[in-house]
Amino acid sequence: MKKLFCLSLLVVLFSCKENKTTKNKAKAPEEKEILTELYGSWVGEFIVKERDKSKEEKEMYSNKINIVIKKITENKVIGQSIVAGNNRPLEGKMTKTGNKVHFILKEPGDDKNDGVFDFEIEDNTLMKGIWVANNPKKEVSERSFELTKKDFKYDPDVMLSEGEMYVDYLNPKTQKNEEEGEEYSEDTYRIASPAVHTINSSTQKLDESDVKNLKKLDLEILRNTIYARHGLTFKAKKVRQFFDRVDWYIPISSDVSSELTSTEQQNIVLLKRFEKYAEDNYDTFGR
Amino acid sequence: MIKITWQYIPIDNNVAFLQIKQTEITQIPFYYPIFYVHVYSSIFVLLAGFFQFSSTLLKKFPVTHRNIGKFYVFTVLFLSAPSGLFIGLFANGGIYSKVSFISLSILWFYFTIKGFTAIKNRKVTNHKAFMLRSFALTFSAITLRFWKIILVYLFHPPPMDVYQIIAWLGWIPNLLIVEYYIYNQLKK
Repeated sequence: MKKLFCLSLLVVLFSCKENKTTKNKAKAPEEKEILTELYGSWVGEFIVKERDKSKEEKEMYSNKINIVIKKITENKVIGQSIVAGNNRPLEGKMTKTGNKVHFILKEPGDDKNDGVFDFEIEDNTLMKGIWVANNPKKEVSERSFELTKKDFKYDPDVMLSEGEMYVDYLNPKTQKNEEEGEEYSEDTYRIASPAVHTINSSTQKLDESDVKNLKKLDLEILRNTIYARHGLTFKAKKVRQFFDRVDWYIPISSDVSSELTSTEQQNIVLLKRFEKYAEDNYDTFGR
Repeated sequence: MIKITWQYIPIDNNVAFLQIKQTEITQIPFYYPIFYVHVYSSIFVLLAGFFQFSSTLLKKFPVTHRNIGKFYVFTVLFLSAPSGLFIGLFANGGIYSKVSFISLSILWFYFTIKGFTAIKNRKVTNHKAFMLRSFALTFSAITLRFWKIILVYLFHPPPMDVYQIIAWLGWIPNLLIVEYYIYNQLKK
């Protein structure tokens, strides 16, 4: 008898729950999510299409962009654009014709760099379109892109690829020379040492002895590789020039400080200290 | 040099050179105080040394020459050279620079004490020769840092490669120049 009572009670409870869920579903039929196969990160190059040549060239020709599609319904699309240190919410609409889905997504408009994305996704594989700045007087007022779907996952083991040279092209050291009355200037570029391929700043707990013989550029790259693994979008062009072309790098967030492991946090402190030392002392009178 | 010493005032365990010596500071007992003994004493040795070459000072104020000399000898023998030996044991750049800094501190001590005993025995030529050698090594504080700028400017080597080179380049040429000078003086 007691068992029967318990069983009936369970049935009653269960049915209550079921009722609630069906109610919720019935409430919002118009917000039915569609095309969920397009959700996720679309990553690739964000390339200059229209540049005001009368202005000083400040913006990079290409930046790595990640356009995230978060939610698609009949009337509304929600997403996010992450590029060059900017992390902006997107909102807009889409229309579907055949195997093409056309989107117009707007950044909020309260930032001087905001604009509108206008693109198509073909066969669920290629996102192709342009971005137009709200401010037509911006140095770069239009960019184009062709992105593919690539999902971000934190992997502490990824490294900078060994075949690549990491050269700081943005900060040359210019030397003025004079030869037979003719003056010319020569730029020298700093090249990162091979240590940037062998030291893993995310998994190895680094000691002073590991980093003592590294130059400032190496130290900076090792520290920023930690942030790159977590998908930080970099504001500094100097950093982007190294990581934008790294295959596994996907900008996903503008703040990863809460994601860092304790090893990474300790390494960042150590690397920063050595960067400061290198900055203050490497080429000056002293030790 | 005064400016370099100035970085270390007030005493702080994480400034300038010490920024890359945190392992030693935390693991080697007394590294930190002995480092400071070296920094604070050596600047006075260097300054004191400059006065001793003045023949005007020696002729007109022989007592001052003697007093500064005693200060120089005392500071080198009891403070700068022993502390130099100790921090040399933990020098950056591995065995190459360690051997250099250790020999440097031992020779510094030796030349200074020889210069002192020479004058006690009134052997002026010997005194001059050994004190010149001693100051050649004292002066490595400046030449070592000077070579660093040149090497970095010319070749941009990694920092510890520079360090291994300047560890030797800082004092060997100084000593050779002084030896050559002493040799020429003796011939006269």
